[in-house]
Amino acid sequence: MLALNPETLKKIRRFRQIKRGYYSFLALMFLVLLFVVGELLINNRALIVSYEGELYFPTYTAFHPGTDFGLPYSYETNYRELKARFEEQGGDNWVLLPLVPYSANENHSTTGIFRPEPPAPEYQHYLGTDTTSRDILARLFYGTRTALFFAMAFTFAVYFIGIAIGAAMGYFGGLFDLLFQRVIEIWSNVPFLYMVIIIFSVIPDTFSIFFRIMVLLSVMVLFSWTSMTYFMRTETYKQKARDYVASARIIGASNTRIIFKHILPNVLATLVTFMPFTVIAAITAITALDFLGFGLPPPTPSLGELLKQGTSNLRTAPWIVISAFGTLVVLLTLVTFIGEAIRESFDPKKFTVYK
Amino acid sequence: MNRLWRTGLAGVLLAGVLSACGGGSDETQVLDNTQEVLDYYAAYPELFQFKTPADLPSDLVWESGEGLPDLGSPDAQKGGTQYGSIQDFPRTLRTVGPDSNGAFRTWLLDDVTLPLASLHPDREFEFYPALASEWAIDEDTATVYARLDPNARWSDGEPITTDDFMFMFFFNRSEYIVAPWYNNYYENTFSNITKYDDLTLSVTLKTQKPDFRHHALDLRPEPQHFYKELGDDFVERYQWRFTPTTGPYVIRDEDLVQGRSVALTRLDNWWAKDKKFFRNRYNVDRVVLNVIRDSNNVFESFKRGDIDQFGLNLAEHWYEKLPNDDPDVANGYIYKSVFYNQRPRPNYGLWMNTSRPLLNDQDVRQGLQYATNWDLVIESFFRGDYARMNSVSDGFGEFSHPELRARPFDVDQAQAHFAAAGFTRRGPDGILVNEQGQRLAFTVTTGYESLSDILTILREEAAKAGVEYRIEVLDQTAAWQKVQEKQHDIAFVALGVGVEMFPRFWDTMHSDNAYDDAFLDDGSVNPDRQVKVQTNNMEVLASYELDQMIDVYTQSSSREEMLALSHQMLEFHHDYASFVPGFVQDFYRIGYWRWVKYPEFFNHRTPSLATELHVHWIDSEAKERTLAARAAGETFEPQIRVFDQYREQ
Repeated sequence: MLALNPETLKKIRRFRQIKRGYYSFLALMFLVLLFVVGELLINNRALIVSYEGELYFPTYTAFHPGTDFGLPYSYETNYRELKARFEEQGGDNWVLLPLVPYSANENHSTTGIFRPEPPAPEYQHYLGTDTTSRDILARLFYGTRTALFFAMAFTFAVYFIGIAIGAAMGYFGGLFDLLFQRVIEIWSNVPFLYMVIIIFSVIPDTFSIFFRIMVLLSVMVLFSWTSMTYFMRTETYKQKARDYVASARIIGASNTRIIFKHILPNVLATLVTFMPFTVIAAITAITALDFLGFGLPPPTPSLGELLKQGTSNLRTAPWIVISAFGTLVVLLTLVTFIGEAIRESFDPKKFTVYK
Repeated sequence: MNRLWRTGLAGVLLAGVLSACGGGSDETQVLDNTQEVLDYYAAYPELFQFKTPADLPSDLVWESGEGLPDLGSPDAQKGGTQYGSIQDFPRTLRTVGPDSNGAFRTWLLDDVTLPLASLHPDREFEFYPALASEWAIDEDTATVYARLDPNARWSDGEPITTDDFMFMFFFNRSEYIVAPWYNNYYENTFSNITKYDDLTLSVTLKTQKPDFRHHALDLRPEPQHFYKELGDDFVERYQWRFTPTTGPYVIRDEDLVQGRSVALTRLDNWWAKDKKFFRNRYNVDRVVLNVIRDSNNVFESFKRGDIDQFGLNLAEHWYEKLPNDDPDVANGYIYKSVFYNQRPRPNYGLWMNTSRPLLNDQDVRQGLQYATNWDLVIESFFRGDYARMNSVSDGFGEFSHPELRARPFDVDQAQAHFAAAGFTRRGPDGILVNEQGQRLAFTVTTGYESLSDILTILREEAAKAGVEYRIEVLDQTAAWQKVQEKQHDIAFVALGVGVEMFPRFWDTMHSDNAYDDAFLDDGSVNPDRQVKVQTNNMEVLASYELDQMIDVYTQSSSREEMLALSHQMLEFHHDYASFVPGFVQDFYRIGYWRWVKYPEFFNHRTPSLATELHVHWIDSEAKERTLAARAAGETFEPQIRVFDQYREQ
């Protein structure tokens, strides 16, 4: 079992006592879980197909051409039509579709014309369709998934680099600190948005979407870790001068041990409070980049792209902007609540009252 | 000397700023190029000739567009202010040189100034008089004679004379204007201009093409008295000076509010205002154009009544944002009209770079033709309003191919062709793979952000045939640059085409524009050839056989021969399959407030915009009445009209 020290257990207990933050955390974790198994919930591939006595699970496998199920075409089976066909035939064959049987990229119009359609539960378009009749729920879901996972990876990377460099600067000090600070000052003056635009204009399209996301992530991390080092550096400076560090050094603890075992736990409170802001910054940045058209290539679903569509069809298709904006608000609120709770539970001065 | 020059330059820059805020500046260094121009004429005695009226051939048949129908309505009222919008503030008031080829040029040049004679919009290559009161054609020597209207005046009151036409050649051939296209056009199209007297001239073309008269009669003079200071600093010196115009609209200095708005004012005593083909046109007293960058905001301004007219070409606008049951339409405040037209069509489609691997395989190209579902795009995205384009040159009348039809979307046909190219197996994602494990995937590059939805539809459909289209949406300039550098796989672009008699082939299909030394002397492929960049041959199409046809076509002066060749070449191009024809918009449609009036019969054959001919007028009284009625809740008869006399399909 994971052995946590009593101090940490106390913090966790306090976090659970702060109901707003705790439930937000549970809700967000539930969302993450949903995103992980997203293909089982929102997908145009069936969950299970029973055909001629055999069971097929197409969700995560290679594509099944229509001919696999007795259809006359060699391209990917349309499982919605397959289901209707099986039901019509009335045999033993059946299809189990996900809750929302649409993929994020397919144009599915109920009228034969590609236009925004309002939410229609009877067609399982629970949030309506966008300007080319793609299901908004599907696009929103996969767009948010990208944004959220992106934000998490971003936060992790920024913290990792920021903490490592900041702690090293604070702990070793001297020339190393002096030089690195200058490097950071110069580096943080490179305009981030231009760099993204320039780098994206030279990446060939043959690279996959995943690769492009990773590039975007790396670029953003490269330009974002600097601010973290300032806090880390000053905190480490402060802790380094404390007696407990001196005693550790006297008993012969190595630098690594002192930094990770002694100093880091003591500065964690400051760092953790910044975490929600970093997550929010990442989500907003990727959304903004997509909104400006410098994000991921079409037809990749994204929050920014939906917002853009929504604002240009404000009057005729308000459901687009409402969905995208609503999602953004909910997501950012959850993260903010969690952040508040974490800050409060890590704050040692529980009973301090500021006047 | 150098210092003096620099002071002069500073003066020019200062003048540029000052003139924008009213009045010229005395500090501008005054130049006079009269002698330079005369020397230039003397240096090219073949091009510039001076004769007397007695030298005119006696057997000329003078014509003046008799019998052509009037333009515009006799009911038209002069007056009123028209409000419109522009996306960007014009970067210059020059009509040539850097930055001059913007959308605003239509207000400075294309739609408002007069050539010698204009194409009548309803007839097949018949002309009505503009600056010339009459003209004569000499078919044998490819010469056009013209007599200028003695009343013709520049907007600053100076008479328009033959000298302005002579000067036009000096101007457009000069390096000062930094306009290589014009330099090239004037250099290679015309061989002579002759002055007989102040009002009589002739222009001779280098080759006697069937449409040579169009090139000559379309010439628009340049005001010599205004360009006296033409020199190396032309671009800066004339940046914000309004060129005297032959047309009815002038821009006064005080009407140019940098970055915000431009206004045009109609000349009260315009010299052509009572002429047969102009008396009912250019009716609006003042045109105010405000800069509105975002097209959604333009639409909102229109709906508020701040802008008089709005183009509703997109299905989204026509059906969703301004549907027939919109209160303003249903209550008769805003009218909607569709006008069908006949003119060469911009060739929207997929241009394949045949110098690329896979795309150099005819089977792959033919497969792509069948794998691209334009029919669905037209049916579902454009709601069946647009038509399928059938060849690369549609809308040229007889010169377009009468029978060629674009290949339909057909998964089986596509797969048969891909199989012939070695793509028989589908990978785990449904995309075809060949023996070497190569995927059948191509990047489709476009600069049309507003049309990128089309590509997402094509992408989904192409996947059914086992092809992956990767979509790349770039900034317009970047996309065009990529295509010009021949760095694309497949490009989704269109080349604009003016009203011309026959299509051009050399630019887009000749091997001259595909490779440096594409072929050896015996017609075999040069193994060392390099792709040629910065040309319009976007398919990098090089065929010795086609080259021969294009060469004959370019030299030919026989209409019959060109007609046959045009069809032959279009067939060749169809079989070569490197261009997937997209869609044709064979109409334009607008929404306009009911105070904007169009002639009752209004529907001309060739315009691509309702305002192009300036036959509309503004009824100020109706404007007041409409706005009052709208405020009071009174309604009018709604009006949604379709003008389909020029509908083709």
